Amino acid sequence: MLINNFLVLGAVLFCIGVYGVIVRKNAVLVLMSIELILNSVNINLLAFDRLWAESGNNDGSVFALYIIAVAAAEVGVGLALVLLIFRNRKTIALDDLSEMKG
Amino acid sequence: MIAFSAPIVDYHALAPELVLAAGICLVLLVDLFVPAHRRWITGTISGLVLLGALLPVVTLAVLGGDVRDVLSGDGISGRYVVDNFALVLKALFLLSGYVVVLLSTNEIEDGGYYQGEYYVLLLSSVLGMVMMASSRDLVSVFVALEFLSIPAYMMAAWKKRDRKSNEAGVKYYLLGVFASAVMLYGMSLLYGIAGSTKLSVIGEKITLSGPRTGIEVIAVVFVIVGFSFKVSAVPFHTWAPDTYEGAPTPVTAFLSVASKAAGFVGLMIMVYLAFPLARDVYRPFLWVLAALTMTVGNLVALKQKNLVRMLAYSSVSQGGFILMALAMAFTNGSEESSLRAIIVYLIIYAATNLGAFAVVIAVARRTKSAEISSYGGLFNYAPGLTVMMTLFLASLAGIPPLGGWYAKFGAFRAAVDAGGGWGYTIAIVGAANAVVATAYYITVMREMWMKPVPEGADTSAVKVPASLVAALTITGLATLAFGVVPGIIAKVGSLTDLTGAFHG
Amino acid sequence: MSDFLRDYLNVVWFAAIALVLASLLLGISAIIRPNKPSAEKNIAYESGVNPVGDGWSQSQVRYYIFALLFVVFDVEAVFIFPWATRLETYGTFGLVEMGIFVFVLLLGLVYAWRKGVLRWV
Repeated sequence: MLINNFLVLGAVLFCIGVYGVIVRKNAVLVLMSIELILNSVNINLLAFDRLWAESGNNDGSVFALYIIAVAAAEVGVGLALVLLIFRNRKTIALDDLSEMKG
Repeated sequence: MIAFSAPIVDYHALAPELVLAAGICLVLLVDLFVPAHRRWITGTISGLVLLGALLPVVTLAVLGGDVRDVLSGDGISGRYVVDNFALVLKALFLLSGYVVVLLSTNEIEDGGYYQGEYYVLLLSSVLGMVMMASSRDLVSVFVALEFLSIPAYMMAAWKKRDRKSNEAGVKYYLLGVFASAVMLYGMSLLYGIAGSTKLSVIGEKITLSGPRTGIEVIAVVFVIVGFSFKVSAVPFHTWAPDTYEGAPTPVTAFLSVASKAAGFVGLMIMVYLAFPLARDVYRPFLWVLAALTMTVGNLVALKQKNLVRMLAYSSVSQGGFILMALAMAFTNGSEESSLRAIIVYLIIYAATNLGAFAVVIAVARRTKSAEISSYGGLFNYAPGLTVMMTLFLASLAGIPPLGGWYAKFGAFRAAVDAGGGWGYTIAIVGAANAVVATAYYITVMREMWMKPVPEGADTSAVKVPASLVAALTITGLATLAFGVVPGIIAKVGSLTDLTGAFHG
Repeated sequence: MSDFLRDYLNVVWFAAIALVLASLLLGISAIIRPNKPSAEKNIAYESGVNPVGDGWSQSQVRYYIFALLFVVFDVEAVFIFPWATRLETYGTFGLVEMGIFVFVLLLGLVYAWRKGVLRWV
């Protein structure tokens, strides 16, 4: 069983996610990029879980379950916050969030 | 199929968490079924729940053995434990949560914000912190961290119609979630290397030798970066001033004290348990972070015009002193003195900073402003508050008879104990910063004592509500007592002796 | 070369053939077709009505609340499924644990109900 392929996929997804967080100006797209990172973590964890499965250990898949649940909670809060700024400002561009400086 | 045997739960050790969880359900239901004009009762219940959760912490400290496994059974022993280290911090989190409830009651009620939900979220966040103190496993560290952060994101944006508060929430949320995602990637690599999420197993496998060194370095760095956002270490602090300024002031107090302390506890657990053999990576990294955090935080604080924003930068720089002690863990046998220094620092800093925010809230009820200039001549019409504020600012500056002095002393002793190039240089950087910091604390004091009252200000005596008086009394007494009789807190420090604390 | 990797060799061949075929077809048509650019050809739809307004369109905010409720309850099933597949193994302990879990979820539902979220106004 080669897990390298999965790890490479995870690393690529992680990089795309980080790139998206840094470059994107739209709050919803930043949220999607963060989800991408979390999914790359899940791929990693499940790949490692298969690697260590012979030793009777499945911490990795348990960890992945928690990440799925927590990610859903995070996105729920995130979308609510995005909705809030859209109601007050009619835009969700992150560059416009500059009420406070210094 | 693997045979399953139910884990044995130590309910006494789990009692603080259980009380809090039951309290959250109770407050939620009370909020739903009580008419709107009686919603204030949710605040009272939350205060009682926090004090109720403190009871089992006390009984555990008196009766309990050194280390108790909360869950014991096949493969899950040693992942969630209660020891002296955990108990001290649980007490700290519960008490700071209680003081924040006291600070919030008037603010939330007068502002016409949702009350029940606020307290549910506050209690949830405290529950996450209490869990963090006991976590000895990657999964529980992660769940505790998210549990304490997610409610905090919402609380920062609590003033729904206020654009600054929205901005505070969104900035905190985006950076916090991004940081935890990066940290998770590091954690997944740690699991891949060690084959277990148990921190003590990871600690044995992360040795920085052999073919996997590169991955180990990446994993350690990612995890530290993730926590650095949480504790607002420079250069990962950019969210902190904006969030602190925009959020409702009681929430700011909560974030800058409890949430930050929980971040440090998480970082501490990781460094002490998972990375003890990775010193060559975390020591230079934390050293640079500590030096930057102290210096940048102080220099920017010097030119602030808004007191809350100034306190935000001051809290950033205070975090640098804790990082200084942490960076020197495991250098020349200094792990015990640095562990003690961090815990003592967290406790004293919590008391002092909460007190300072209590004064800010009390004054803002009158002046509706947090600008430093609005504090001009405060002594003329609110002498009590002025004296208290002076006390807290002097403690933050580290002036001797007060708690802050003892905290700084501990941090410096840890650095000097470690000695060598790393220890002495960071101690010198810290000493220079402690002097610079005094400048901006004194600016505020001068404003209060010597400057005239601003034109047109109402100078009748300021009425301070009972809950704020209670909060000021608790924090003021603690600040004084820790400084005058450091013996009481030194005892707390020795309670947390390292051997019992971690490797149970 | 291992068998595992040899299996992937087929994929590489297919990818190469697909690439060559696609570039051949596109390349030939690029050479032989006439080239007459005009402004009309750059509109998103060459026929019918001109597109108006933004690419983003708003939808009712009520959908959002229902979607959110759905996501939260849907994702919590992630904990229920593993338990359900091993129901007998986990015995009473598992049942009690899941009872507590479902109770907390129900509390969320009661909250949504009392706040009037479940009503379509």
